[in-house]
Amino acid sequence: MVRYFRLLRLFFRTELQYELEYRLNLLLEILQTAVVTATSVGAVLVLFTYTTVLNGWDLGAMLVLLGCFYLVQGFGELVLQPSFEKFMEHVRLGTLDFALLKPVSPQFLVTLRHFQVVQLAQMALGAIVVAVGLSRIPSVGTFEAVGFPIALVCGFALIYALLLALSTFAFWFVRVDNLMALYWSFMDAGRFPVDVYPGWLRVTLSSAVPIGVAVTVPAQVIAGRLDVAGLGLLVVGSVAAFFLASWFWRLGLRSYTGASA
Amino acid sequence: MIRIYRALLVAQIQAASQYRVQSILWMLFAVIRPVIFLAAWVAVANAQGGQIGAYDVRDFAAYYVALSLVLNLATSWNAYEFEFEVRMGRLSPKLLRPLHPIHYAVVENIVWKLTTIVPLTIVLVFVSITFDARFRTTPAHLILFVPSVLLAAVLSFLTGWVLATMAFWTTRVHALSTFWDRAGFIFAGQIAPLALLPGPLQTISLALPFGYVLGVPAEILRGGVNVNTALLLMAGQVIWVVVFYIALQRVWRVGIKQYSAVGA
Repeated sequence: MVRYFRLLRLFFRTELQYELEYRLNLLLEILQTAVVTATSVGAVLVLFTYTTVLNGWDLGAMLVLLGCFYLVQGFGELVLQPSFEKFMEHVRLGTLDFALLKPVSPQFLVTLRHFQVVQLAQMALGAIVVAVGLSRIPSVGTFEAVGFPIALVCGFALIYALLLALSTFAFWFVRVDNLMALYWSFMDAGRFPVDVYPGWLRVTLSSAVPIGVAVTVPAQVIAGRLDVAGLGLLVVGSVAAFFLASWFWRLGLRSYTGASA
Repeated sequence: MIRIYRALLVAQIQAASQYRVQSILWMLFAVIRPVIFLAAWVAVANAQGGQIGAYDVRDFAAYYVALSLVLNLATSWNAYEFEFEVRMGRLSPKLLRPLHPIHYAVVENIVWKLTTIVPLTIVLVFVSITFDARFRTTPAHLILFVPSVLLAAVLSFLTGWVLATMAFWTTRVHALSTFWDRAGFIFAGQIAPLALLPGPLQTISLALPFGYVLGVPAEILRGGVNVNTALLLMAGQVIWVVVFYIALQRVWRVGIKQYSAVGA
């Protein structure tokens, strides 16, 4: 376990050094993230000039939700997107061999290998938006304070499981970029609570692509809209999704034939 | 010129038909964001008793369906590709040909729109039924919509090219186009119909080109403005098209002298 953390730190450090080579570019990208976040907050503020609650979510809770959206999306783009893109390229080129030969869990090595360090800025901005939203919520109890990080980690795990399952199809179909693009386009829907969407879209967002759950539930916890049972269900569901996706990945790995084999 | 365009069209249609699944997926991008904001506005309207300003729930539905169609018909994404071509030096062979590179982009855009219009319409009919959209469109609106969406497409194409041309000086225009896109996100009518933007934002939206690309044609298609207002708004579109046409000619002429393929 310790070894895995050390490896993770090493991966992160090399990517950070790489990014720091292009400092102006890094600065511009952080600025872009800031503009994107600010305009999204602006959009929510425009909606709230016409109402004080949106499906039972007041402005404070809504900002917490938007912050969670950027935390979850930022996590996805920080490590999952770059790693999974490389993974699919490895399958296509047959270079996955090199990862399989190393004496660590191949799933770990493939899925948490690459970082887009600049996305930490997106997560930081998300955290700021959460904090601003929190300042408008009168009181946060112990359960909410403890439950929130748990729910957020579950959200990360759900996104991880979903992307892992989707990218596993690369073992059979090689080119699955389109499937991943589908995921990113649905991701955008997470910026509003999943209960505002009509039937078919809500079902899609909470079961098939659990983006709605990953973003909405942490915000629900902190806004005091979720009980212990609900949180427990989320934890069980996320753990199950994680193991199911990992099992599916190993199943796919058996169909991998390697370079020019 | 017509013969050149016919040849380019045929070639581009053949190229596009190789990526059918891709084009349908990219089309979904044009639908998903409007549906997201439609759902949010429906929730807001319901919280306020079903009516916000002149819009009720079914008007919001009609507006966002129209917006989604306009988003697909009017927007182009040249800035991203052009940056790539300048950075990789791939623009050089195109410059040697006897045809201005802009024509390739025109044809690419036309073909993209033709190939996505049928699946998009099917999806939009589905969305209209789900949200029970009510269009107030009269035949006059439909007649005005055609030139209006054309103007919007030309305007968006020209602004995209002016932005892209900045790559001659900076090589990277990605940041610039992100800022432009986000301004469009706020001002073009995506987060709210133009009439519902708070005062100063609405002024900016109609004083700058943003509103004319999406919000104006969408309102005309939905029948949300009367004929006189529509004509006034279209005059605004014409003005901005002229401004950006002149700007592009100037910028291109100066920029092309500046261009030296990266690595050359």
